[in-house]
Amino acid sequence: MSDTSRVVQIFLKRPMIRVALVLSVLSVLVASHLRITLSRLGDASSNLRVITQEAWPPDFSVVTDRASWAYPPCELQTDWMCSPAVVGMTQTLEIAFLATILGMVLSLPLAAASATNLAPPLMAQSIRQLLAALRVLPSLIWALIFVILVGIGPLAGVLAMTMYSVGYLGKLQYEALEGVSREPLEVARTMGLPRWQVARFFAIPEAANSLLSQMLFMFEYNVRHGSVVGLVGAGGIGWYMQYYLEPFKLYDRVLALIIVMYVVVIAIDQVSLRIRRRFIEDEPMRPKWKQVFLPWTDG
Amino acid sequence: MSEQILSVNSAAIGFDDVEPLIEGVELRLREGEIVGLTGRSGIGKTTLIRTCAGLIPPLSGSISFAGAPLGDKARGEVGLIPQRLGLIQHQTVGYNVLMGALPRAKWYQSAFSLPSAEMRESTRNAVEAVGLQDKILTSVNSLSGGQQRRVAIARAMVQSPKLVLADECLGELDAETAKGIINLLRDLANDGTSILIVDHNPVRARTFCDRVLQLRGKRLVELGDEEQDATPALPVLRRPEQ
Ligand SMILES: Nc1ncnc2c1ncn2[C@@H]1O[C@H](COP(=O)(O)OP(=O)(O)O)[C@@H](O)[C@H]1O
Ligand SMILES: [Mg+2]
Repeated sequence: MSDTSRVVQIFLKRPMIRVALVLSVLSVLVASHLRITLSRLGDASSNLRVITQEAWPPDFSVVTDRASWAYPPCELQTDWMCSPAVVGMTQTLEIAFLATILGMVLSLPLAAASATNLAPPLMAQSIRQLLAALRVLPSLIWALIFVILVGIGPLAGVLAMTMYSVGYLGKLQYEALEGVSREPLEVARTMGLPRWQVARFFAIPEAANSLLSQMLFMFEYNVRHGSVVGLVGAGGIGWYMQYYLEPFKLYDRVLALIIVMYVVVIAIDQVSLRIRRRFIEDEPMRPKWKQVFLPWTDG
Repeated sequence: MSEQILSVNSAAIGFDDVEPLIEGVELRLREGEIVGLTGRSGIGKTTLIRTCAGLIPPLSGSISFAGAPLGDKARGEVGLIPQRLGLIQHQTVGYNVLMGALPRAKWYQSAFSLPSAEMRESTRNAVEAVGLQDKILTSVNSLSGGQQRRVAIARAMVQSPKLVLADECLGELDAETAKGIINLLRDLANDGTSILIVDHNPVRARTFCDRVLQLRGKRLVELGDEEQDATPALPVLRRPEQ
């Protein structure tokens, strides 16, 4: 008897085991608070069977047939080019593109103004707070807000994802800028250059590879999330999914759209990864990109 | 009577008021003078250079530049060549050298990245002066150590500064390459630029500097001629006696 209690005591002395015990008890309490029971899971499996029966096989007419109800309306002659999948995916890509470009244009100056090695501490701290505030809300919530403000359509999606991109990209960027070596910045400071020139001509070019790679990463991210914001009406392929979900419950078409989206997202991730890998590699800098970024490098 | 460019007056230098790295620094640089700075590693040479550049305030005492407080120096009047050169990575030689002309760009020239003809011209001249005209569009990352030093010097030359602060600019270069760099610095000084250069090798410093200062303990002392002769050369520089 005392042996058992000794074992229990030794057992409880281990921090890992105590933590595990506390977490298990908490999980059970939380689950019961949420009224999660095993019978619900049983319901799910029967629902799942219904859905799979209705969704399978996927109905790829979404790739071939014209969506006369597309918004903005599609004026192309060929039917498949006006199909929900093509129109929706194109919109998602366009929204992601605009949001990434706008996000980059807005976030780069903000990032430079919030890098502690480039900006005065008070300014850096307050702009960081602003960037953090933009990141608090996920892009889906921003989309809800902008759908209310500017109405249903791609504009709401662009604005929503721009907000999130600025917050997220800004953080990545000021971290990259803070990582540049101290010496070039000291050379600039010794020359007596103003802070914005130190940032623009010394820090940003030095960090150009990471900045470009982050921008591509943000584009990938925006393509993935651009599919979600459509569900609340902010344009893109998600909007077309929503159209089939409610009230028609055409799960086979939704599944086809999901497959199309999946394939496109994977393709974009792969291409983007290839390109980014070239930036991350140290040597040598691709002149093509450099000229895009810094047009006066020809001395 | 040549003008006094840099004047450090009874300054304490370092990061900690209680324990400065160097105390009672008296240092004067006249126009066109090359002054060497030696001392063992970790003693505070780089810190002194950065203080003269205005990057760190002196703990006490004052620094004046061309007769006015150092903080009032005009843009581009002081050039810095840091220990690891401070080149902008992955950018071309031309871009890096052009940066030396940035202090005299008008706001719209820098805002819209439109360097003036004069800025481009002086960049080209400086790149030619250091013999890198074939490399002007090459990324600095693909240059050798000696070539990278030339780029840093060319950038300082384009500034046409009154003072150049060069930290370990000769580093571990072989004698031949070091000679080329020294000649470039000499040319710069002949045009009236004062140069304060750190060289951990006092024997070499003596060969090309007008004066050599040494950090010893917490003091900055000037090496007189006799004293310089008494300074033992580094063992590696001595040929073993046969
Ligand atoms: N930013 C800093 N803050 C505090 N101490 C520093 C800093 N930079 C250098 N030091 C210290 O100052 C001393 C002198 O460094 P440094 O000037 O680089 O020497 P040297 O160039 O002669 O080799 C070293 O002990 C170093 O650790
Ligand atoms: Mg040093």
